[in-house]
Amino acid sequence: MDFLGFLITQCLNALSQASVLLFLACGLTLIFGIMRIINFAHGAIFMLGAYVGHTIVVLTGQFWLALIAAPLVVAGIGALFEMFLLSRLYARRDGGAYLMITFGLAIVLSEAVRLIWGAQPKGIDLPEVLTGVVFLLDQPFPIYRLFLIGLGVSASIALWQFLERTRTGLLIRAVSQNPEMVHALGTDIRIVRTGVFALGCGLAAFGGILATPLFGAYLAMGNNVVVDAFVIVIIGGMGSFLGSVIGSIMVGFVQVFGAYYFPSMALSLLYLLMLTVLIVRPGGLLGKEE
Amino acid sequence: MKNDKPTAKVESGKKIDRVFRTVTRRKVLSGGIAATAVLAAPAFLHKTAKAATGPIKIGLPTVVTGGYAELGSHVIRTSKLVESMVNGSGGILGRQIEFVVADTQGNPAAAVRKTQELVERHGCHLITGVVVSSEARAIMPKLKEWDTLFVSHGNGDGRLTTPQFLVPNFFRANVSAPMGARALALYLKDDPAKEYIAIGSDYAWGQSSVKAFDEQISILGKKLVDKVMTPVGNKDYATYITKVMRSGAKGCYVALQGDEARAFYTQATQYGLAEKMPLYTEIVSQSNIKALGKSAAGLVGGSRYAYTQDTPQNKAFVQAFTKAHPGQLPDWTDGEIYQALAVLFAGMKKANSAEPDALVEALEDLEVTSIKGAIKIRKCDHQGMNPGIVVKVVDGPNGAVPEIVKIYSREVATPDCGKTTFS
Repeated sequence: MDFLGFLITQCLNALSQASVLLFLACGLTLIFGIMRIINFAHGAIFMLGAYVGHTIVVLTGQFWLALIAAPLVVAGIGALFEMFLLSRLYARRDGGAYLMITFGLAIVLSEAVRLIWGAQPKGIDLPEVLTGVVFLLDQPFPIYRLFLIGLGVSASIALWQFLERTRTGLLIRAVSQNPEMVHALGTDIRIVRTGVFALGCGLAAFGGILATPLFGAYLAMGNNVVVDAFVIVIIGGMGSFLGSVIGSIMVGFVQVFGAYYFPSMALSLLYLLMLTVLIVRPGGLLGKEE
Repeated sequence: MKNDKPTAKVESGKKIDRVFRTVTRRKVLSGGIAATAVLAAPAFLHKTAKAATGPIKIGLPTVVTGGYAELGSHVIRTSKLVESMVNGSGGILGRQIEFVVADTQGNPAAAVRKTQELVERHGCHLITGVVVSSEARAIMPKLKEWDTLFVSHGNGDGRLTTPQFLVPNFFRANVSAPMGARALALYLKDDPAKEYIAIGSDYAWGQSSVKAFDEQISILGKKLVDKVMTPVGNKDYATYITKVMRSGAKGCYVALQGDEARAFYTQATQYGLAEKMPLYTEIVSQSNIKALGKSAAGLVGGSRYAYTQDTPQNKAFVQAFTKAHPGQLPDWTDGEIYQALAVLFAGMKKANSAEPDALVEALEDLEVTSIKGAIKIRKCDHQGMNPGIVVKVVDGPNGAVPEIVKIYSREVATPDCGKTTFS
């Protein structure tokens, strides 16, 4: 019984870790899939979401409002960046230019956050409903982490349905496959690109604010997490949404069980997993080889 | 060495450069002895720059960005406070002091590069404020070459003051990891629990702290059932907390700092870990108390510095600090950098000089009355003998407060000379 309880707790631990990573990885893979841009600013955007969310909580006292408003604000910033800066580089068809400008954005955002919010880390108090523990076979488990898992699952399903079932989703997928053709058929692909970049940023910001009650908002919070997100995207296949979902869960489980049973190898296990996937399927689990 | 000092006074770096260049050109033209003169030039000019009568420059190669940025921000805020206090009252040796900050990001390689910049570009031959022990270890072998004195305010790795790493130009004014663990272990003597578990950050300080705690409690006939070492920069502690909870231990020793500590305590609170077993730590910090909120009450730990300590010097410091930063209280880094600077200034007064060579001599066996009471910088291993402070967090009307429950004398709390163990 005890072991079963332990196993359930650890699986839930893994899923809750995966949930936070999922939002980051989905944003990353969407942007790459549609725009062929590796967004180096993703970690900084994740951090920005956390800080904006923190400010909204401080000003209004509403965690729920922050959960909705912070991603919208950050998505807006992402849209502006895409419209006024990134879009000027499309004609060059040069991956290096994207790399430089998103890397620049990362630096600008990090420094802006330091100037605006200072170096002191910020925490968020959870609303009453989300605090406390539930006992699963005598093992305590935080309610907030169950909430994270619930959000992760519902957001995955919602995004998947959005991409598969709606007309906008169809357009997005079409742009990822053949932008010239979509353009020729009378769709303004500039709007699709702006929208997708904003969506990706919004998702990262959502992850950022969800992570704040776990480890607070601080200047370096995006650094390691974004590396995990890159690993997830590589495992799942660049640009594959479902691949990212699967990748997040795999990374969550490897981190949780790896750190438990093989603590000294905890970090390398993640990369071993990535290597194995790359050897068996060079394009990632659900990605296409290019 | 002292005879080498030239009579000409060169003040700014630019001027040095110019002198150096003109000398070089002329000598090269005249040939012959030129080669030796040119080779000798940089060293001799470098000495001159330091002997200038301008402000005393103190380099702070600290963490401005990165995982330990909070600790770095404490270094900077209290150094700035000290700067205004000292300069406001006429400076030291009639000279003003000036701090120069460089961002090491907590990375040893960057720390070496940034410190070298502070020394060579900004003429800082006195440094402090290094946050991470591994950074200190990277810097120490270079001190002689840079002719620079390094006074540690917070580097905890016990080995820094053992023959393994110690260099003549390094002093540690602060409480080391073994000392923090020692104070706590002395306190735990009366605890009926026999089995503990330790969780620590997997780098120099965390390992040193956990090892020292292990050694200390085994002397008391207690033991560690497990050591959980977590990767540097770890954020999600769920699996580690589960491990701690299942260990069957009756207490958990925590050796985590900065962002890691905050993440751990926040998550541990969410799992209700503190209700299951008491948490002990080498360093109780203000920011951890804040993160823990209500559940901070009961946390027992060593404290490198507690703002609640009842000495006249400390009361004056806390008053000045809260005046400069309304609504905030000094954390342990604030106290330790304040003490490190007090040690440095006392050394300057004793030596009547701000030269590294003279300071090394003056700091050895220096007695200072600091905010923590009487501190002695030991000659044999350059370790500052500090009292061992144990605090317990209690709930007060204005939030949780670290109440000092025990102060062990500096003789009991400091390890044997050049060692990390206690006799």
